[in-house]
Amino acid sequence: MGIRCNLSLKSLYLYTIFLYTFISLFVFIKQNNKLMLKLLKNIHNILPVIIKKLYLIILFCSLLFTGGCEKESPNRQNRVIIGISSDISSFNPLFAFSVDEGTISELLYLSLINFTWDEEKGNINPGPMLAKSWEWSEDSSSITFYLRDDVYWSDGKKFNAEDIVFSFDIYSDPDVQSRLYETFSDFYTDEKNHIDIEKTFEVSDSFKVKIKFLPNSTPTLSETVFHLIPKHIFKDIERKNIATSEANFNPVTNGPFILAGWDKTQSIRLKANKNSFLYKPDCIDELIFKIVPDYSSRVTQLKKKEIDLVELIKTEDIKGLQNEEYLKITPQIGREYDYVGWSNIDHELYKSSGKIKPHKLFGSPAVRRALTYAINRKEILDEYLLGYGQLAVGPISAIFKDAVDPDLKYYEYDLGKAKSLLDTEGWKDIDNNGILEKGNLEFKFKLYIPSGNPRRSYAATVIKNNLKQIGIDVAIETIELGVLIDNMYEKNMDSWMIGWYVPIPLNLKFSWYSDLKKNPYNFASYQNKEADQILDEISIETNPGKLNELYKKFQKIIYEDEPVTFLYWVDNIVAYNRKIENIDINPLGAIHHCWEWTVKEQ
Amino acid sequence: MKNRTAKLLVKRIISSIIILFLIITFIFFLVRLSPGDPSQKFISPSLSPNLAEKVRESLNLNEPVHMQYIGFLTSVIQGDLGVSYNFRRDVISVIMDYLPFTLLFTTMSFILQMIISFVLAVKSVKKINGFFDRTLSKLTLFLYAAPVFVTGVFIVFIFSELLNLFPSSGLKSYDFQDYNFLDKILDYLKHLILPIITLSLAEIAIFYRYLRDNLEDVFNKLFVLNLRANGVFERDILFKHVIPNAINPLITIAGIELGIMLGGTLIVEVVFGLPGMGRLTIDSILTRDYPLVIGCSLAAGTLIILANLIADILKASLDRRILEGILR
Repeated sequence: MGIRCNLSLKSLYLYTIFLYTFISLFVFIKQNNKLMLKLLKNIHNILPVIIKKLYLIILFCSLLFTGGCEKESPNRQNRVIIGISSDISSFNPLFAFSVDEGTISELLYLSLINFTWDEEKGNINPGPMLAKSWEWSEDSSSITFYLRDDVYWSDGKKFNAEDIVFSFDIYSDPDVQSRLYETFSDFYTDEKNHIDIEKTFEVSDSFKVKIKFLPNSTPTLSETVFHLIPKHIFKDIERKNIATSEANFNPVTNGPFILAGWDKTQSIRLKANKNSFLYKPDCIDELIFKIVPDYSSRVTQLKKKEIDLVELIKTEDIKGLQNEEYLKITPQIGREYDYVGWSNIDHELYKSSGKIKPHKLFGSPAVRRALTYAINRKEILDEYLLGYGQLAVGPISAIFKDAVDPDLKYYEYDLGKAKSLLDTEGWKDIDNNGILEKGNLEFKFKLYIPSGNPRRSYAATVIKNNLKQIGIDVAIETIELGVLIDNMYEKNMDSWMIGWYVPIPLNLKFSWYSDLKKNPYNFASYQNKEADQILDEISIETNPGKLNELYKKFQKIIYEDEPVTFLYWVDNIVAYNRKIENIDINPLGAIHHCWEWTVKEQ
Repeated sequence: MKNRTAKLLVKRIISSIIILFLIITFIFFLVRLSPGDPSQKFISPSLSPNLAEKVRESLNLNEPVHMQYIGFLTSVIQGDLGVSYNFRRDVISVIMDYLPFTLLFTTMSFILQMIISFVLAVKSVKKINGFFDRTLSKLTLFLYAAPVFVTGVFIVFIFSELLNLFPSSGLKSYDFQDYNFLDKILDYLKHLILPIITLSLAEIAIFYRYLRDNLEDVFNKLFVLNLRANGVFERDILFKHVIPNAINPLITIAGIELGIMLGGTLIVEVVFGLPGMGRLTIDSILTRDYPLVIGCSLAAGTLIILANLIADILKASLDRRILEGILR
């Protein structure tokens, strides 16, 4: 989590210029008469002083001159510079928890399979990488990988099947606490989810490895795909100490790039790995990640051509960037949505006694639907996001073309419908104070939003005004993101607003399954037995067609229950210099497959 | 006398250690009692929900706070501040990545501030209420009032965006390692010139105003009149009599300001993308990197105490009478 500065550069300039002009004018007017007279009177005194001090002026000019003459342009041929917001903490893919760490470790380390994005199907397509080919056994209980024999680690050792076995071992080891901790559910593991090497692997020669899965499990190819690490480097390090080991900073890698330099907090330099089978001489040969914590500075440097590519451009900057001919702006349909969370259950009762009872305000699906009807989501999308996003219907992004249900239409802004739904639920304004009541209970609550996020502040204000019109009193409470997340975990809030993103491949069980103890990500405490059953079926289904049917069924249930109010999907807006060619921006990321980029001669 | 000074110095050092101990204790409890959790970065749809819990366990965060404190104290006494959760490295080694830059940057800027404000103040008092004096007092008031991020962005806009003379951020060029020694120095200078100007402007204003007012006060004292009446050169009056009498309050202020700057100059660091202590501290607070928060506070506290000690010693060396008073 880096520091985000939310000041728009333009307004800052205007403010500064205004301030400076105003004050200098003030000083000037106040002293005008005397000052001018003095200047004229003293001109014969001042001039010799200026001439005397000429050397100072010369010194100053020479300083400017040294500043002006660039030793070398930062944009060398075949070099691409990417602006990122914060430094990484490890090159080791085991611990690539942040997006940037994931991106960089993907360029340094390879996995068995190469996933590419299939725009048609809206899903990932597997292709060969370290494995030349693979075949499933007839009953899908095991898979055999045939490996390339021309891959070398950057210290000269040859990559082989032992590295694969070792990587599975390390990634699943609970002492290592890797990012795949506890996710190997279809493998032979011990009670701590550590993979049983003996039972799982069959290494017939150095370049052929068979992986056997648990009987009656439904393994998928993506479970075997992560970035493999070299056994000869990590085997002698005690498992608990791998996270803090020096080997994470001097990585021995086998990817399309090798680490050429890491200037902490300044830049990360990668060079094309000429020994890699992915190397093409005409593609980029140097990739620099420049760390610029301030968003405005990143945009400025993009305009100055000091940086070639920046992701997550804010909508207010798009116009300014579009004026620059050499920049191209590509919005990518997002994997992230903002939502307003409603506590579905009485969280205080649940915390004190473990009993589950519907929430007194948001317990009923009809009330939650009414709230969604009452929120003008299109206004937020058009006014703040300038249309760079889509209204959200459910938790599945539009990028998953086959999984998303096109028949579900989003709840349009309709105060009448909202009112009548609330009316049938017994919420009426009896005492005419402008706020709905049901018995002694008034419809008022606090909406918690994270600080430092102008988009969510804007949305919260719209929501507050919208809900006021149907007689619901909302108080907006802005708290620090860390505190908000803590409160979500602890189930301390009636209502909150935050973003969530969908992983590829989809995983819905974490956040929507009723069992709250096993699924702490079910922050809204959504309860539905039918949805649970579908989620269970999804986790064992492997046929893509049937899987998509199940997803659609699940979406229908969520649509009816509206456990949270899904607001909108936010586009990832990428701005890059047009000199970069052959760039494919897709949901897997803008920098994904950047070893295939070429740079146009300028 | 020497013996006495040494004694007082030892006393001062002991009290400093007690202060530092209180600082880290206070912060230790404060960060743990405030809401938020270091395992937050392990909350993501693509990670196992139990990973955060596992991480908490391995960081000993599930133990009662007083047990954690005892463990912390034991390792601090052994000179170990723990491992940063974010950087996965020893806290001391992380701080050592950032501290040298902050020391260099702040000291350079501080020296510049001192020299410029001194020269300006001396020039000003040569003709009190003259043209130079009045213009400068208005200008410094304005510089003092303008927020640092405004001056920073303004300077970037003028010198980097409009004139394209200096790079707008960073500490060195990408090809830094290919340069020869002279080019390396020039490269640093080119990158540091805008941040140093930004950081210095406001401080120059403060120091200038202090020094100028003190000089004016001393100039109006009777002993100056007496010196003048005795025909002492104006130059000697200024340098031998007025300045030594006027400089004491400035040293106090300078000590405090230097200490604060050494703790980190957050805004300048963020605007110019520089690797300083300010950014490190804020990042560690926002991500709840407890050991690093404590490490940063300890470093900042030590530097503030040191800067003040140096200021006091300097003052004492100028005026023996106050030696005992301040070394208490």
